[in-house]
Amino acid sequence: MTRKNVFWATLLIFCMVLVLATGCGQPANAPEGEGEGEGPSAGAEVVKVGMVGPLTGGAATYGTSVRNGVQIAIDEANENEDIPGVVLELNAEDTEGDWSKAANAFSKLIEQNKVNVIIGGVLSSETEAGGPIAMGGQIPAISPSSTATGLTLGNPYLFRNCLSDEVQASQLAEYAVTELGFEKFAILYTNNDYGVALKNAFEETAKELAEVVAVEAFMDNDENFKPQLTSIQTKGPEAIFIAGYYTEAAKIAQQALEQDLEVQFLGADGFYSPVLMEIGGEAVEGAIFTAGFHSGDESAVVQNFVNKYRELFNEEPDMFAAQAYDAARIVIAAMKSKGTSAEQIREGLAETKDFPGITGNTSIDEEGDTLKDVLILKVEEGIFNRIR
Amino acid sequence: MFFQQLINGIVLGSTYALIALGYTMVYGIVELINFAHGEIYMCGAFVGMYLVTVFKVPFVLAFLVAMIMAGLLGVTVEFIAYRPLRRSSRLAALISAIGASIFLQNLALLVMGPRPYSFPSPFTPKVYKTSLVIISKVELIILAVSFLLMLGLTFLIQKTKIGKAMRATAQDKDAASLMGININRVITTTFAVGSALGAAAGVMVGIYFRSVAPMMGLMPGLKGFVAAVLGGIGSIPGAMLGGLLLGVAEVMGAAYISSQYRDAVAFTILIVVLFFKPAGLIGRFLQEKV
Amino acid sequence: MFSAYYLQIMILVGINIIMATSLNLITGFTGQLSIGHAAFMSLGAYAAALATLKLGLPFFASLLFGALLAAVFGVLIGIPTLKLKGDYLAIATLGFGEIVRIVFLNLKITGGAVGLRGIPKSTTLLWVIIAAILTIFILNRILRSRVGRALIAIREDETAAESMGINTTYFKILAFGVGAFFAGLGGGLFSHYFQYIHPGSFGFLRSIEHLCMVVLGGMGSMWGSIIGAAALTAIPEFLRASADYRQLFYGAILVLMMRIRPEGIIGERRSRRKPPQSKDKKLGKINIFKVIGR
Repeated sequence: MTRKNVFWATLLIFCMVLVLATGCGQPANAPEGEGEGEGPSAGAEVVKVGMVGPLTGGAATYGTSVRNGVQIAIDEANENEDIPGVVLELNAEDTEGDWSKAANAFSKLIEQNKVNVIIGGVLSSETEAGGPIAMGGQIPAISPSSTATGLTLGNPYLFRNCLSDEVQASQLAEYAVTELGFEKFAILYTNNDYGVALKNAFEETAKELAEVVAVEAFMDNDENFKPQLTSIQTKGPEAIFIAGYYTEAAKIAQQALEQDLEVQFLGADGFYSPVLMEIGGEAVEGAIFTAGFHSGDESAVVQNFVNKYRELFNEEPDMFAAQAYDAARIVIAAMKSKGTSAEQIREGLAETKDFPGITGNTSIDEEGDTLKDVLILKVEEGIFNRIR
Repeated sequence: MFFQQLINGIVLGSTYALIALGYTMVYGIVELINFAHGEIYMCGAFVGMYLVTVFKVPFVLAFLVAMIMAGLLGVTVEFIAYRPLRRSSRLAALISAIGASIFLQNLALLVMGPRPYSFPSPFTPKVYKTSLVIISKVELIILAVSFLLMLGLTFLIQKTKIGKAMRATAQDKDAASLMGININRVITTTFAVGSALGAAAGVMVGIYFRSVAPMMGLMPGLKGFVAAVLGGIGSIPGAMLGGLLLGVAEVMGAAYISSQYRDAVAFTILIVVLFFKPAGLIGRFLQEKV
Repeated sequence: MFSAYYLQIMILVGINIIMATSLNLITGFTGQLSIGHAAFMSLGAYAAALATLKLGLPFFASLLFGALLAAVFGVLIGIPTLKLKGDYLAIATLGFGEIVRIVFLNLKITGGAVGLRGIPKSTTLLWVIIAAILTIFILNRILRSRVGRALIAIREDETAAESMGINTTYFKILAFGVGAFFAGLGGGLFSHYFQYIHPGSFGFLRSIEHLCMVVLGGMGSMWGSIIGAAALTAIPEFLRASADYRQLFYGAILVLMMRIRPEGIIGERRSRRKPPQSKDKKLGKINIFKVIGR
């Protein structure tokens, strides 16, 4: 190694340290910092809770929301000493949005960190890959957002806390036909497990009750939807069901407006984020979608969560954060009722009945799936209002 | 519908073309695939967005500042990640470029957070309708700006002294050096100009889609690179043509074949074109000296 | 003996060794830059998984089926290489990789965007070790034979090789076929380990990762690819401790490594002053004979 190389190496390391230092200084990016100050009280047993999700890469925004939601639930439990003599510790692992790396994250949490329960994965493919590992390690896992059909079947250690795609999409299709009186639908879906499941369910119900004139696909992180919208426009639908997440939905609405396509936009819980209005602006006004969570809900638990989220992370929570918060609270409730060992948590999770979550009353059925109420929300003057 | 789709394709293609120009310029001079170009595009968009939303700078000024900042960033990346490797194998430089790309992407993720930011359009939304097509004001502006920038670049390369030096360096680095051309300066300028064009594309796309996000450079970066190769890498008119062609092909594929296979159609066309014209559409096939 | 986590990393290291050494045959030894190696891996992964699930083939036969199918596609993608050089070839392979991924994302039989689940967990560390050793052994035999010398001759100077009577067309396609065969093998092991596959893991970033392993280890060096694969599988896992900064460090390490040792971990240092070369010869000029111990 020449002297010049040493110089550069030192410079780069220096830069990285600098980045580390500045990065930590920002409260929005270092939520873990908040919890550290308290420290585990003397003699308390430390129980580790794992979290798996994409913290970097194209899906980072979802994974980060989930981590934030879990963080709030765990901090609350520690502050209130919900479980006597126990301090919970969050161990978050990144997947880069790649399911094979999610499998590594599951293994690492189970074997190295010795967590007793895992909240994750976030994307369905992550949970698919991690599920067998959780079962092998006999550690329960609860996904706050993986909606793939039949995901939890045959795996007693795998649970989830999210709205079923089938239920959401078919209820919305029914509502759109019977209450709103639409007859001609177009579907624009994101080509991943979430979008495909929603599309299938919506298409089925909508075809029974009315007519589906166009079905078009797009990819995650796409930005330009003009060709699909132009194709849809020629078919003349009255409403477009967007089976996808908020960023894409906002851009679709925006681009539809730009090409004079005036239709009603319909969606599912993937719409639930303030980003929808930030990017969509005028264009998403009037959009109607199903959700499990509504931040305008007056109840104390919801307001407590929304305020804490704003305070800690300086932004509005999205549905990922809300479902993750509930998933974590369901885990904490299971610990309270049964105990903190992995097996006890699993039993507790399996017996969850009418848990009063911020995403509605939640029960877990014998297959590990969730039963929840579906709300229908509408964007009115830049905020979400509950219409059913 | 055909003409409407054609317009869609041309607008999309012109942003690809702007990105492709940055790739092709760098490649023409140093024969390096500048993988970090997509990230420079993203950083340019962020600078533009920040200036407009936080500092309330007029849009045109923000646009220019974003270009200058991205130019500086491009030069910095060249200085840190590429210059020391100029005499190493091309693949070593490629890996270094990939490293720089990963670094910048994740730096943006750490500093800005993963959520997309809204980039409010400075133009009043307006739609122009004819019997055949509908086009919005933003789209017209994107087309005009892309056209002007490409014209400016052609002027820079064909008519100015530094342009002449660039062309000489692209032809034969050693001979150019012997003729008294400062190779380092030429390379620095190339990176600065290429990156500035990338930032221009980033800001245009930012206002077009009303958002900027740390990961926004990944796919456009890849597509810009494909466009550059399609046209014939190293060739400036080739990059423009490649960009437009890729944009139109992608849109037509989505419209007439299947939107599920949108990207696959674009890549298939790429492979077919390369099979029949191995050096790209306008590329010169470099004769190998024996 | 080992915790399941270390076992898993070791299995991944083994699979990545197969991926990196087989890519090394194409890129490092034959000089054909490919950024679509993950496509061959996914072909092998899906074909082997479907062979097990739909045809009920035993594990070994499924692996072979996947590898052979990947090899067929390797030969197919090898054909354009007759005309394309350097970066044009690279972009064609990249395009091929993306096409394969999108096709898998939309096919019904592969489970499309939902992925394919329920693959039996047949891959064990022993299988992976045997497969990796077999791969290294066969590749080494190929490289030490007449074929290997022809491949290296093509990398060093295609025109000269041709004038020496080497059928460059045949050997380039052969390199792609063999490389793809082993990539398919790696893919089959991959799908039978995770019990689940989804196209999301076989994108262009995965191909880039394989290329990084080859270059970081040292182009045209068997040991280099092995070490490169081990390092780039393990480093991101060690970096897990730094959570949010992991990817940042990873990027910086790549840049730093190339600054300090641009020829890779194992790889002969070339003289800093070299005569100007023709454009096609810059892919890496390492004395392979010294490296593989001839």
